[in-house]
Order: sequence, then C-alpha cells, then structure tokens
Amino acid sequence: MNVPVWRIVAEREITTRIRQKSFLIGVAAMVVGVIAVIVLTSMFGDKPSHYKVATTTQEAQAVVEQASDVVGSTDEDSDVTARRADSESSAEQMVTDGKADVALLPTDDGYRIVGDREVDGDLAAALTTAVQASALQANAEEQQVDLAALHSGSEVRTDLLDPNADNAGARKALAFVMVLLFYMTAIIFGMTIAQSVVQEKESRIVEILAAAVPIRALLWGKVVGNSILAFGQIALVVLTGLVALKITDVGGLGAVAASSLAWFVLFFVLGFVAMAGVWAIAGSLASRQEDLQSTTMPGNLLLLAPYMIAITAGEGVKTVVSMLPITSAMVMPARLAEGDVPWWQLGVAVGSNVLAIIVTVWIGARVYERTLMRTERRLKLTEALRGPADRAVA
Amino acid sequence: MLQTRNLTRAFGGRTVVDSVDIDVRPGRVTGFVGANGAGKTTTMRMILGVLSPTSGEVLWDGEPMTSAVRRRIGYMPEERGLYPRMPVIDQLVFLARLYGASAQQGRERAEELLGHFDLADRQSDLLDSLSLGNQQRLQIAAALIHRPDALVLDEPFSGLDPVAVDQMTDLLRREAGDKPLLFSSHQLDLVERLCDDLVILSAGRVVAAGTVEALRSRGPERFRVVLDEPDAAWLRDVRGIDVLDVDGSTALLDLDGAIASDLLATITARSKVTEFARVQQPLSDIYREVAA
Repeated sequence: MNVPVWRIVAEREITTRIRQKSFLIGVAAMVVGVIAVIVLTSMFGDKPSHYKVATTTQEAQAVVEQASDVVGSTDEDSDVTARRADSESSAEQMVTDGKADVALLPTDDGYRIVGDREVDGDLAAALTTAVQASALQANAEEQQVDLAALHSGSEVRTDLLDPNADNAGARKALAFVMVLLFYMTAIIFGMTIAQSVVQEKESRIVEILAAAVPIRALLWGKVVGNSILAFGQIALVVLTGLVALKITDVGGLGAVAASSLAWFVLFFVLGFVAMAGVWAIAGSLASRQEDLQSTTMPGNLLLLAPYMIAITAGEGVKTVVSMLPITSAMVMPARLAEGDVPWWQLGVAVGSNVLAIIVTVWIGARVYERTLMRTERRLKLTEALRGPADRAVA
Repeated sequence: MLQTRNLTRAFGGRTVVDSVDIDVRPGRVTGFVGANGAGKTTTMRMILGVLSPTSGEVLWDGEPMTSAVRRRIGYMPEERGLYPRMPVIDQLVFLARLYGASAQQGRERAEELLGHFDLADRQSDLLDSLSLGNQQRLQIAAALIHRPDALVLDEPFSGLDPVAVDQMTDLLRREAGDKPLLFSSHQLDLVERLCDDLVILSAGRVVAAGTVEALRSRGPERFRVVLDEPDAAWLRDVRGIDVLDVDGSTALLDLDGAIASDLLATITARSKVTEFARVQQPLSDIYREVAA
C-alpha cells in the first residue's frame, strides 16, 4: 500500500507553505480585505437619509411633510422632518449650526431653499416637487379646477427590461472584485510553483529526487499541491465574502453573489490548472531564483492581458475572450456577475479550458523533464523543447 | 552485482565517459578514483539514471537495470542538495516516503541515522542552520534512509573532519554489509584504507581496475633487504637483480624476473639477513603511473 509519489510531493508543498508566516499573513490580509471592502460599502453605500428642514410657517411645515412622502417613495426608510424656527434668521442659524440640513423659507412667489454650503440634490428635488404640488393644489382650488381631471392621462411609469438592472452598480463591483481576486491568487500561487521548481534545481536536491522517482510525478505533485492551496484560499475568501454579504446585504447582492461565485470558483480551478504548466516551465527554464523574473514574464502577461480586458474592454471583445482558455477564468465570472450568459458560451469556455489544461501540462511536463537536470544556466524554451531528453526514460 | 558495460556519454561531440566497464561486487567496497573531469560524476549519474547514456548499459545481477532496482540504490550526488528551509527530520521522512516507506517507518529510520551521527537533538532544526559538516552527514543519512540494496556515493568524504570520516567509514562498513558499494574520492589514503577494489578513471577511460592488492603488485616486484653488516653495496654485484638504492646496510632491489627464494638463498650464503620484505607500492604511485 504505497502512497503515490505525486501525493507525497503535494503534501510537502502544502505543509511547507502553510508553515510559513508570510503565507498565513497573506491569507489573513485577503480575508480581512474582503470583509473591510464589504463592510465599508455597506456603511457608505445607500444608507437611508433622515433630512431635517427648518421652517417658519405652518404652510412650509405641510410642504415638508409632503416632501417626506416623496423621499419615502424611492427609499422607504428615508424621511424628511420639519424643525420649527421663530424667524428667518433663527432658521438660517439652525442651518449654520447643522441642526437642520436646509431651511425652507417663504418668498413672494413661492419658497427658497437655504443651505449652508451645499444643498442635497435628492432633498431639493423632493422639496421642489412638494412645493409645486401644494401650489398646484392651492391654485386649482382657487380657480375651481378639478385637479384629478387636470392630471388625467399624465401618469408615467418606468419599467426596466433588464431584470438585473436594480443593482447593476453592485454587480459591477462584484465582477471587479472577482477579477482582482483571480489575478492576485493566480499570480501568488503560480509564482509559488515556479519558485518551488527552481528551488529544487538551485539546491540540487533534484538529482536525488530524479534518481528516486519519476520526474513527472514531481511535477504533478507540485501542480496538485499548489492548486489545492490556491483553491483553499479562494474558497475561504469567497465564503467570507458570502457571509459578509449576507449579513450586510450590500445592494441586495446576497442571492446574486452565491451563483456567480460558484461559477467563479469553477473557472478559477480550470484557469489555475491551465496556467500551472506555464509556471512549471518558467521554473524549469530558470537555474536561480533571480532568473524567474524573466522566465515568468509570459505567465504574468498571460494573466495581465485578460485582467486589463476584463476591466476595460467593450461587450463584443469581452464575449469572445470570455470563451478563450485562461482569460475566460477572469472574464466569464465577471460577465456572469453582471448579467446572464448563454449556456453554449459557458460550455465553450469550460471546454476550451479543459483542452488548454491538457496541452499546457503536456508541454510543461516535457520541458520539465528535459531541463530539470540542467542547473548551470538559464535556458531558452526552444532549447528545452528541441534538446534530447537528458534523463533515461525509465 | 552492479556493473556497467561500454558505458559512454558524449556532450555535444565531446566524449566525457568512454566505454567504461565497472564491476561493483557485493560485500566489496569499490573505490572510484580519477582526476577532476575524468568522468566519475557523469558515470555515477548514468548508473542512477539521472543522465541517459549515449551508449552502453548498466546491469544489475547481469540484467539491464530497471527503474524499480534503481530506486533501491542509495545515492549521494556530488552536488549536495536538500531543502534548505525544511526541518532535518522532515527531509529524511519525505525522502523515505518517496522511496516507498510509510511515514512511521521513515521516522524510525531517520531517528536511527540521526542518532548515529550525533544529530538526534538537531532533528527539528532547519537544514541551513547546521554546520557544513553536519549537512554533509545528513546528506549521507539521506542516501541511507531507505536501507538501499547498493550504494553509490560521489565524494562522500569531502569536507569532513577526521573524526567524522571515521564515523562515516564505520557506518558505511556496517550499512554496506554484503551490498555493493561504489564511492569516488580524491583522498587516496582513505581509498587505500577503505577499499577492497579499485577503478581508476582517466580522461573518461578505465586505466586500471581490480583488487587493491592486485593493483599494488602490478608493478615490478621490489624487495627491501637489511643486512647484519654496515655496508650492503656488494649486492650490486649479484647477478639477476637490479639494485635501485643502497643506504648503509639497507638496499632496495628490483627482482627483474629472479625468484625471491633463490635470491634470499644467494644473499644468506654471504651475509646474515635481518630483514627481507616485499615492498608494497603506495596507491598514489600506482595512480600517478596509470593516470599520467
């Protein structure tokens, strides 16, 4: 009952990593970061507003009550209350002292709204609507006009065809956070694979390992070990995010998030494993840690490009790249968070990633086997692919 | 028995190891000697399958070496390597598991080996906190961790102090037991002390191989004669021998085909002999002769 070599290697990758303080601090920082973003959004986001308006007359007070209904019609938790002042100057003093947001003062032909430095747009609109409505009401009565008859046929209702439109802003933010999470996690654990490979070359333990076990098993162990770590970290961050969203319910995202985050995790695994071969190649082309900067460049670009696309590109470009391998890992979950995606496009994206995994891991293993024993200098990719296999294929 | 047959390796047209035949017999310590760049390390790497031969083969008990058998070889590479930032015991257990042992077996064996090298109290330390000598001991422990069926050690004694060398030779003698053991070294005095068999490599070719005694007696038969009289110069006149040197009552003779007992009879007929002994040629002389 021997444990397969790749599992022993994967175990070593995991245990060495989780014993590192820097790793634990990094994970903790990510979790805290996600919680902080969500909590801050809920604090500064669409909080109910409670406006206070200083008034000097009975009429103004009635207008404020109407304005409260207007404000309450868009956000039921918000309201406007009137504060009675003795005179215009004391009303203005209340505004200056911050005891009222604005003062609503009568003029010859209506009212003026007095603010300290600025006037809140929503409050001003609500007050204006209320003033106009009450003036209209008063005028109509004076002229003996049936106001209801006058208003008939003027009702305008707005309906939105996009069912997700209600929290579009929050969905965009969620998409952005997912792209950023994938980018950061893929880079961190990708570099770990590359470093782990080059460390074995640099410390020359690779010669003992190569004599003891099939070299491919080493590669598999590293890919599996680091994928589990990356997956674990992502799952932890996503769960934390979900719980925080449930509690704060930022922009009503709770339900939206669960399904798109599930897709995110699936695409994360596919995209990460498809990249693993690229990282292994980067590691095996290097002979020292310093070489990694140049050998990991293609991997970094491969991640940076979709990252930029996911953030900036237009619909058409996004639709195409969301079906390509690796790039789809970032772009597709972002699209899913922002709205619905046809099923066939999801299928193409998953399929192309699986294909990419097969190809990159195959090339990765080939390069890895051919370069692992060449510890003297940095190698070129063409050299590694063309050269004869150094190692006896056992 | 571990053998190589016509083992050859070329790097870009330059032949580094050229038709090398080596026999490493069970229960015999075989020394592998040669100048820097003679091809020792390349040969050992090919035996371990870390490097593939250009031509030729490696045999185990007369059959071509399989990867299953290769895993049963304990290997200490010339370029030492273990994980610098990993605790000592964990490295050994990790290697033991790669060789197919359970974690428990690996730990027991690792503790046994660390005990032998007086490293038992350092088992939780990171490798790079150990002295170079201790890292070297750990490297040997890594080669022995899976109770190998054969040992191939590249320069196992380099960098060790004399006490550590003694410790190591004790351990190797005990661990090797009836298994084949091949080790390379520059320290000819050590090789002389430790080896039963010897292979001398020069510029990729085997220039001498055999038991140490056989190699030593390969040269002309030399005898040292000490007479019970002040001057041995008259020996120069004895026919059939070549007197190399005379110093007072002592002379160094080359038998030149003569038979030792006949010569002794001739000398005792004229003088009392206090000493008549075969001179063993030191290994360093043999090495210089064949490797030159």
